[in-house]
Amino acid sequence: MNAVNLPPLSLYIHVPWCVKKCPYCDFNSHTFDELPEAKYLEQLKQDFIGQTQFIQKRELKSIFFGGGTPSLMSAEFFIKLIKFLKENIVFSSDIEITLEANPGTFEADKFAGFHESGINRLSLGVQSFQDSFLNTLGRIHSADDAIAAIEQAKKIGFDNFNIDLMFGLPKQKIKDALFDLKQAVQLNPTHLSWYQLTIEQNTHFYKHPPKLPKDDLIFDMQQQGQQYIADSGFNQYEISAYSKTKLESQHNLNYWSFGDYIGIGAGAHGKVTVNHEIIRTRRTRQPNNYIEQPLQLLSEPVVKEDLLFEGLMNGFRLKQGINWSVLEQYAFQDITQVKKRLKAFEQKGLILSDDKRVWLSEKGYLFLDDILGELV
Amino acid sequence: MSDLSLIRNFSIIAHIDHGKSTLADRFIQNCEGLSNREMSAQVLDSMDIERERGITIKAQSVTLNYTANDGETYQLNFIDTPGHVDFTYEVSRSLAACEGALLVVDAAQGVEAQSVANCYTALEMDLEVMPVLNKIDLPQAEPERVSEEIEDIIGIDATDAVQCSAKSGFGIDEVLERLVKTIPAPVGNIDGPLQALIIDSWFDNYLGVVSLIRVKHGLIKKGDKIYIKSTGRHHLVDAVGIFTPKRVVTKELKAGEVGFICATIKDIHGAPVGDTITHLKTPDVDALPGFQKVKPQVYAGVFPVSGDDFEDFRDALEKLSLNDASLFYEPESSDALGFGFRCGFLGMLHMEIIQERLEREYNLDLITTAPTVVYQIVKNNGEVMEVDSPSKLPDTGSIQEMREPIVRANILVPQEYLGNVITLCVDRRGVQVEMNFMANQVSLTYDLPMAEVVMDFFDRLKSVSKGFASLDFNFERFEEAALVRLDVLVNSERVDALAVIMHKDLVRTRGRLLCEKMKELIPRQMFDVAIQAAMGNQVIARTTVKALRKNVTAKCYGGDISRKKKLLQKQKDGKKRMKQVGNVEIPQDAFMAVLKLDS
Repeated sequence: MNAVNLPPLSLYIHVPWCVKKCPYCDFNSHTFDELPEAKYLEQLKQDFIGQTQFIQKRELKSIFFGGGTPSLMSAEFFIKLIKFLKENIVFSSDIEITLEANPGTFEADKFAGFHESGINRLSLGVQSFQDSFLNTLGRIHSADDAIAAIEQAKKIGFDNFNIDLMFGLPKQKIKDALFDLKQAVQLNPTHLSWYQLTIEQNTHFYKHPPKLPKDDLIFDMQQQGQQYIADSGFNQYEISAYSKTKLESQHNLNYWSFGDYIGIGAGAHGKVTVNHEIIRTRRTRQPNNYIEQPLQLLSEPVVKEDLLFEGLMNGFRLKQGINWSVLEQYAFQDITQVKKRLKAFEQKGLILSDDKRVWLSEKGYLFLDDILGELV
Repeated sequence: MSDLSLIRNFSIIAHIDHGKSTLADRFIQNCEGLSNREMSAQVLDSMDIERERGITIKAQSVTLNYTANDGETYQLNFIDTPGHVDFTYEVSRSLAACEGALLVVDAAQGVEAQSVANCYTALEMDLEVMPVLNKIDLPQAEPERVSEEIEDIIGIDATDAVQCSAKSGFGIDEVLERLVKTIPAPVGNIDGPLQALIIDSWFDNYLGVVSLIRVKHGLIKKGDKIYIKSTGRHHLVDAVGIFTPKRVVTKELKAGEVGFICATIKDIHGAPVGDTITHLKTPDVDALPGFQKVKPQVYAGVFPVSGDDFEDFRDALEKLSLNDASLFYEPESSDALGFGFRCGFLGMLHMEIIQERLEREYNLDLITTAPTVVYQIVKNNGEVMEVDSPSKLPDTGSIQEMREPIVRANILVPQEYLGNVITLCVDRRGVQVEMNFMANQVSLTYDLPMAEVVMDFFDRLKSVSKGFASLDFNFERFEEAALVRLDVLVNSERVDALAVIMHKDLVRTRGRLLCEKMKELIPRQMFDVAIQAAMGNQVIARTTVKALRKNVTAKCYGGDISRKKKLLQKQKDGKKRMKQVGNVEIPQDAFMAVLKLDS
């Protein structure tokens, strides 16, 4: 296969530490006594070097620092790491480099240094602009902290930033959700991630389930919130993602468009195309094991039968759906069969398609899990 | 052994927890049928598990040698009987091979209805019934009261009933001594032509068909050419032997003895239970009185969730019926559920066992419709037909009369729960036939519609009597009844597989309860699901399962893919026992909803 047929390439970098584990969070995050920043930096470099065979002459389209709480690291850490990466892979001219940051006072002081490192986009985990809800969610920042941090980021020159908000919180009313959205819009972000709280396994909330608002209330909340977001000039382009024109998260778009990504860091996942096969990779989850032990890449190829499903599972999350040609090219198989299967959903009015692409109808967009549940 | 006087053939009649298995184990131990090392607790019960796996036996026998105080060594043939009310018919088979039966009664709990019924069967068959009071070591044991109860209810002398504790081993020798004295030796002519009764037949994966037989006259040995009276076919005997309880091949089986034979018979229908075996050279030997052929009591439609499984399902039923002559099945097709089988069962337990085995051993996903009893319809032209499925009910216009099966139920219940039990019987349209106050229990006889009894009556009876009431019932007669079919419509479509036949007086209440229950059981879907209960064209109840408004995971990024896929797979597996009817996913529970109406 030549490089022309490979999908675009992104890089995900996981930083697995948090000051405190939030009760809803099921990501790979750990508390710490002292951050082994230098050691972690070195291991990340080794990690990347160990996966350079996956680059296959491609440029890097985006980098995402996720966590955990990557903003716990010093500016120095990012300066060194990004410099290193630049020496080992070609950055595309419009590369997007996003940092997930906690909107607290501690982080705000470091924003200038983050900006200097080359990070050109922030994703701020605000979750709510009301302290009572922040408290329920176990967040360590206050609403005022968040506003101050965002003002600071803007002042330094982060004009491209996302605000993460949650809805469907315990005791939350529609007006509370709208209050959060209004506050966010006033801060003039380029991007909003507005997603419903879901109780995941292996979380504190799973073991001690909080009382959530009724389904019907959550649905009304979503409808009214989405209306407000649209009226404020944001386009919904994914189930929970909204952006100003052309300011979608390039990194996440690549996930949903069945692109490739290399994953480095403790518990990081990757998806790479090698010789007509798609391989899913991951690294050990425990930070100490990751740092102390020789690196081991756990990888397995996606079986051919699953490829199209995975393509659709991601592509259907996007409002515009997924191109037939993308499915055909990157899943390395004929798509006549799957087209036939999708016909049944078209007849039910859940799926729409034309010659070029396939996407969900407005109704289908609300029942993605049911559709996928039948396709799996 | 050439002397019939030293043979004793017996069964044990006992209620489930009254200690039959433990007592049987003690007999085996006392007679050294198994060494202590081989003796695991409750040998016969552990063989139940083997039976479940399909590798051994249903009715079982054990041959033991007992040296009595008179110095003689007796051959004891113990023929086991199944315990549950669904399988009572098997009891009469076992009894037919015996000259006597031990009635084992829990000295604390007293007599129980099913034992009473089995006792009567034994007495009718001229068997000697010997009462045994078990669990005599329990602090709450009341041997005098229970003896009195045995006399009151069954009418046999129990004044000097032998007392024992199977658990501790106390009194076991006394039971065996009494047994050889009380139970008569079999009568038969070893030199006469062979005449043997098939007590049971089962299919063994290694041996083919194995039959448990009781030889009345003559003898049978390996190499004999035998003749099966009802089929008119002949077979070569491969092996004969006994269970000790291990399978032991012997030289021959003689008049008076009980044991197994293997002949070149392909399936159990070639060795019908209750049939008579003789030698090919003496085909004119009289047939022994057989048993009544068992008829299924309840019928239900069973359908594979996926139409692709139909062939596998049919093969599985064929295999199961190799070992279960009481399982009836014939093809059935349903507008809602596609192709499946109408299956007849002895009762609800039997149905559950079959469904479970089909799912577990044959890896099938099945939907079973609500079971129904067999109704009799007299058409205008005088034709009488039997209906085992609501969908087979003819037009009301062509029906002259409908009849439902009535059972006579015998219930034994301690006085303090009498009121509850009577209320239950009345609720279930029962008519009292008799009521007798015994020492501590009341014996109640009710005529009840079979449809009301086979479903959940036994569970209800147990629950209103804190587990103390016991039940036995038998088909009595067909009786004219005002019956109607209650149809269920899902989104205005009549779903044939949800229809039920019931009494006209109950249809309104039950229709309403059924709609409510269905609402609980049908999960919310992408659209409203309207559920209606209708009698003819008249809708008598309706309810709606409101549409789910969305079902979509909020967050999904790169790392979540594999995990998310697993969750979706799990969700799909959870839907296995759901059937898509039109657009609507209906779970198995909803098909059984009519059984769960707590009216």
